[in-house]
Amino acid sequence: MKTMLSRLGLNQKLALAAFVLGVLAIAASPYRGTTATIDTKALALEVATEADHVEPLDLAAWVIAGRADYRLVDLRGEPEFGQYQIPTAEHFPLATLMEAGLGRNEKIILYSDGGVHSAQAWLLLRASGYKAAYVLEGGLDEWKEQVLFPILAEHPNDFQRARDERLKSVAAFFGGQPRTGSRGGPVAMPMPGALPAPSVVGPASPGGARPAARKKKEGC
Amino acid sequence: MSAPFFKFGLFGDETSLVVAFVIGIAFGFFLERAGFGSARKLVSQFYLSDMAVFKVMFTAIVTAMLGVTYLGWIGFLDLSLVYLVPTYLAPQIVGGLVLGFGFVIGGYCPGTSVAASATGKLDGIAFVAGVFAGLFVFAEAYPLLKGFYESTPVGTVTMPQVFGLPYGLVVFAVVLMAIGGFYGASLVEKKFAAPAKE
Repeated sequence: MKTMLSRLGLNQKLALAAFVLGVLAIAASPYRGTTATIDTKALALEVATEADHVEPLDLAAWVIAGRADYRLVDLRGEPEFGQYQIPTAEHFPLATLMEAGLGRNEKIILYSDGGVHSAQAWLLLRASGYKAAYVLEGGLDEWKEQVLFPILAEHPNDFQRARDERLKSVAAFFGGQPRTGSRGGPVAMPMPGALPAPSVVGPASPGGARPAARKKKEGC
Repeated sequence: MSAPFFKFGLFGDETSLVVAFVIGIAFGFFLERAGFGSARKLVSQFYLSDMAVFKVMFTAIVTAMLGVTYLGWIGFLDLSLVYLVPTYLAPQIVGGLVLGFGFVIGGYCPGTSVAASATGKLDGIAFVAGVFAGLFVFAEAYPLLKGFYESTPVGTVTMPQVFGLPYGLVVFAVVLMAIGGFYGASLVEKKFAAPAKE
């Protein structure tokens, strides 16, 4: 065997190496399948430190600022999405999330009604190599509580007055209505479906195609 | 760590220019080392007396293909983020023919002409000037050519998709083609060898 190898020239040796690698590659698929392994400790740490969360008011600020460096994913069913969605959201039900064409290098923010589905989707995404997946804290429920129908102080002091002004303008932008009183109190929250849709110059039309301006110029 | 490095934000736009510069210099260096800074060497490919262009290019293809396959397999490279040039069938065939005619007539392709200019070859410098003149004409004529330029779009397709074969099998087939091609090239070289100079 050794003498056979030593009799080959460099070119033949390289050709042989390429052949062996080519044979082994028959079994290869460079695309990821549906199975994944996770670093449980790293993920547990992310969850424990709440590094996986985006606060509703932060997201609201990003939408208002027209930031284009994130993708907001609505995981709910079709009827719910049709009734109301956070501006700039795209609709991918949980079962189709992996084939949705999200990039592993993109910042992905997930939301559902509460937090359960988005947390599950977060784990799936993180496990299959999506590095920057986040969960909207509290989901759409908390979005309503904090952004659309925030509770203003009944007898505000100076600090609260400034905060309430900010909350009012944010709620107005998204077509919501601030409330006074206690959380979950007597003021009934209107169905968000009845809200006028805000005109957002955002990164995406809801559920629609990505605008061309967002894409980096590639190729030569 | 994951690749592509730029897509995962390992470096930004400015640094990417530095990276491109380093890769470009390395590309030019190896073109020159392969003898591709000489129009004689390049054109002898078309007279079948020296198949170095074929061998070097096919070696590069096989090396890159195996590298991408294995890096993707071990999960280091996310292939879905690697940019693929979209296919426009008719304009790319015509474009390839135009480039091929230019290659035979001028003795260089765009990359090798720059390598030749870097070593001070006058024909290389003339070729680069021609490339820029052609670019200027193309850019000015673009409104007229736009319809054809964007005709027969096929999208971003890969060989495994077109043939409906498993990815690994196509890789193996290309390796076989290369090895067969190299053997065939050595036979062709013997047959069409340039007559020895006195």
